[in-house]
Amino acid sequence: MLEGKLVRLRAQEMGDLERDHAWINDREVTRYLAARYPISLVDEERWLSGRPPSSGSNGLRLAIDTKDGRHIGNIDLLPGNPDDRCVALGVMVGDKEYWSRGYGTDAMITLLRFGFSQMNLNRIWLHVFEHNERAIACYKKCGFQVEGRLRHHRYQEGRYSDVIEMGVLRDEFAASHGLAAPKEGGP
Amino acid sequence: MLDGQLVRLRAIEPGDRERAHAWLDDPEVTYYLTMRYPLASADPMWLADAQPASFANGVYLAVETKDGTHIGAINLHELNPEDRKAGLGIIIGDKACWSNGYGLDAIATLLRFAFHEMNLHRVWLSVLAGHEAAIRCYEKCGFRHESRRRQQVFKHGRYWDVLIMSILRDEFDAPHVAPSPERGT
Repeated sequence: MLEGKLVRLRAQEMGDLERDHAWINDREVTRYLAARYPISLVDEERWLSGRPPSSGSNGLRLAIDTKDGRHIGNIDLLPGNPDDRCVALGVMVGDKEYWSRGYGTDAMITLLRFGFSQMNLNRIWLHVFEHNERAIACYKKCGFQVEGRLRHHRYQEGRYSDVIEMGVLRDEFAASHGLAAPKEGGP
Repeated sequence: MLDGQLVRLRAIEPGDRERAHAWLDDPEVTYYLTMRYPLASADPMWLADAQPASFANGVYLAVETKDGTHIGAINLHELNPEDRKAGLGIIIGDKACWSNGYGLDAIATLLRFAFHEMNLHRVWLSVLAGHEAAIRCYEKCGFRHESRRRQQVFKHGRYWDVLIMSILRDEFDAPHVAPSPERGT
């Protein structure tokens, strides 16, 4: 269990299945995600039950819970290359009631701190669609810098869109947010 | 068989394996490539055993000179039919052929195939910052700089940035390929 200020990150359980399935099939939620086709409950279940245990090589998938135990989304570190100490991150807040209220940002900062201070990563990076301004603002708050723009990298809604690449290095995150876990009840 | 000015691109044959393995096990050849560990001769990288070229399998081809000498390999990988994009990888393993325009001609030939036969919209590649000869070659082919992934790869005792470059179908078809404004270092 990783404690943030607003959220807790925990391993995913089979009991999360129906919520995951509803979110991943909700176009409003996946509009800016790589998901394109409808996903069956059976496929989602196979994916959830077939996951290897979390590690730097396997990657990890954690559920985002509010402090009162409501499951509102998921966050991932993708399988990475331990030699380079570099992994990609993905996040989804599926419960729309919790959009734009700082829960996603807190989940990100909590996982970034874990990645740098416990997994000994050097770099964490992500892709975001150019039109997803809410997410880009959130990632900047978390310490990510824009590193580039992949032109016409993604086709959806009848046209090609650019994808923005963002990255954060361990030293930068240590300077902006600190590597030590925030004290319980602290600011 | 795809015909270029200096090279031909042909399907990979079992007889190519030994040469390809020698190249991929040569530290001078792989200095700027992301492969790291010594490679067994059976490893499939760059060889894509007996998979006919397609969107699903990728396009893995041998590069040979017009007199039939096998000098390298080139591929399109991570093909995506919805986004109509692919990643491009190339290796000229025969060091006698470095800096002679063979790589450039092989890329131009494969790009023509990618855009005019496979109907792709975007071809991208990644290159270690510092691999100057390759970056210059990609710029000449019309690739533009679009991203610098800071400290993405660890090699030779330090972290290296990785540059992403791409070319779009319209740019390939333009009569004059403008040089990329930003230079990688």
